[in-house]
Amino acid sequence: MAKIEPRRGRIIIHLLGRKYEWTVEPRYWRNPIFGLIIWLALPLLLYLTATTVFHYQPIALMSTLIFANLLIMMAVPFNLQTIGTGRLSFGPHFFLAVGGYTAALLSRDLGLSPALTLPAAFFVGALIALAISPITIISRGVYYVLITLLLPFILGEITYWRSDIFGAETGIPNVELLFPTTGNVTLDVVIFVYVSLAIALIFLFFVDRTLRSRYGLMMGVINEDEDVALSYGINVRQIKIITFTLTSGAMAVCGWFLAHYQGSFSGPVWLMPSFLIMVLLTATLAGKGAIYGVVVSAYIVATLREVTRVSFGELSVVILFLILLALLYTLREGFWGLYRKRRYREYEPSIRVRRKS
Amino acid sequence: MLKISNLTKRFGGIIAVNDVSFKIEKGEIVGLIGPNGAGKTTLINLISGFYSPDNGKIEFNGQDITKKRMNERAKLGIARTFQNPRVISNMTAHMNVLYAILGSEYGKGMTMTEAGAEAIYYLDLFGLLKKRDVLAGDLAIYELRLLELARALALKPKLLLIDEAMAGLNPVEAEAVSKLINRIRSEFDLTIMWIEHVLKVLMRSAERVLVMHYGRLIADGKPEDVVRRPEVVEAYIGEEEV
Repeated sequence: MAKIEPRRGRIIIHLLGRKYEWTVEPRYWRNPIFGLIIWLALPLLLYLTATTVFHYQPIALMSTLIFANLLIMMAVPFNLQTIGTGRLSFGPHFFLAVGGYTAALLSRDLGLSPALTLPAAFFVGALIALAISPITIISRGVYYVLITLLLPFILGEITYWRSDIFGAETGIPNVELLFPTTGNVTLDVVIFVYVSLAIALIFLFFVDRTLRSRYGLMMGVINEDEDVALSYGINVRQIKIITFTLTSGAMAVCGWFLAHYQGSFSGPVWLMPSFLIMVLLTATLAGKGAIYGVVVSAYIVATLREVTRVSFGELSVVILFLILLALLYTLREGFWGLYRKRRYREYEPSIRVRRKS
Repeated sequence: MLKISNLTKRFGGIIAVNDVSFKIEKGEIVGLIGPNGAGKTTLINLISGFYSPDNGKIEFNGQDITKKRMNERAKLGIARTFQNPRVISNMTAHMNVLYAILGSEYGKGMTMTEAGAEAIYYLDLFGLLKKRDVLAGDLAIYELRLLELARALALKPKLLLIDEAMAGLNPVEAEAVSKLINRIRSEFDLTIMWIEHVLKVLMRSAERVLVMHYGRLIADGKPEDVVRRPEVVEAYIGEEEV
């Protein structure tokens, strides 16, 4: 039987001959299980509370959760890309649009199922990223920012120029949904919440594993000083190209999700600077390199967006960005920084390095 | 061990390194001196792969490495320090050395514990054990120089290129660093090429001194002979009492 042993500041649980220890004070929490349970249960709890207690269909609320998960899906690979390339890209939404258009066109014109458009969206996004990846080596600073900022603008213009293919603002309709509808709109949206949450979790898992690996360590050095990384014998070019390619492919998967969630895909909507700013704010408010902080910041940004939209009408964007500006000003280390110990050793990440067999 | 043949590097109209040729044998400590702008750091940058030469050839242990990139040269055993210490300032001293070990070729097969212990060894060797948990950005210049040396040594190099290890240090600190460099040379069977402005210390430690002036190598020989040559006195040594 389980034996619970409360101690000062921590709880020790003895179960089946093993000892589990949990530090009570939130800022020392290291076990992600509790956060994961809350995160997984939240949509269902909100859905059940709204439908059974308040008797209303929480479609807007569920859409907000989907948007939050979408921000996580974008900001997590974006963070990894920033660390691994040592460059701040202003074009993550370009790859979202590439993935979205690939999935939508293949679904509408060739009748491919979402299971087939998923790898296609990833590979097209990754292939385009691979083709332009030398920019991570040859350009830096404002030049890199401008190049990455121009990509979504160019794609946006192409969608108007070839509106016969891309449908301009109307987009590409008749895209197959991710799953057959249940007949209950709210339930469908709840399922989409969990699909987006699953994708966000998969991204978090892979990025976390990468950052804790030897490659993550190399990325960290590249992010700090490329010349020092080179002097260690690290193949900086190779790591930059691989990171840029794979993370861009992951961002294209976000586009795939949107196309099959909405049943259509309109690039100009997602190629707008406002969406880019949301992604950048999510990543920045999370804290430098804080992958799990992205979850907190994405939900806060998405909630604030919805609250300001409902409360302030035309002024909603102004109010939203003013609030986010205030948060940026007050939280210098982001939301994750609130939970960090302010000790030197805290800066030492835990890296798992496996011996080669 | 290192053979440089007719090495030239131009930056626009300026010839920073002009047709330089020399050899360094295994186990030597070779000093490189010259007035400011003589091309010393450019030469180190060319050998370490930071710059590509416009002309000439660099051979390391009989292998032509002229076209090899900096990371490939590091894997072959060429490590360097920088004129202005370049450490990862928001990591601790321990992490700086640890990252060097795990990032390096020989660190590939190491576990975190092994690499951590190895990093501690190098920190201890350079007297930085007490500073292991201090952020590198908070270290004093003397400690930063030592940390850079510890990090470079942790890469297990065959050739160590030191770029002004004594800049910004007082005479006592400079002497301590000099002793450490001599010690690691003998303990780790290193070959060292060392740029320095503190000539007194360099003259005592180096077995050979190369003198550069306006990108050209104007002297190569034993320290006591080199400093007496008129062209060296005129170019550089005359400015300082040796």
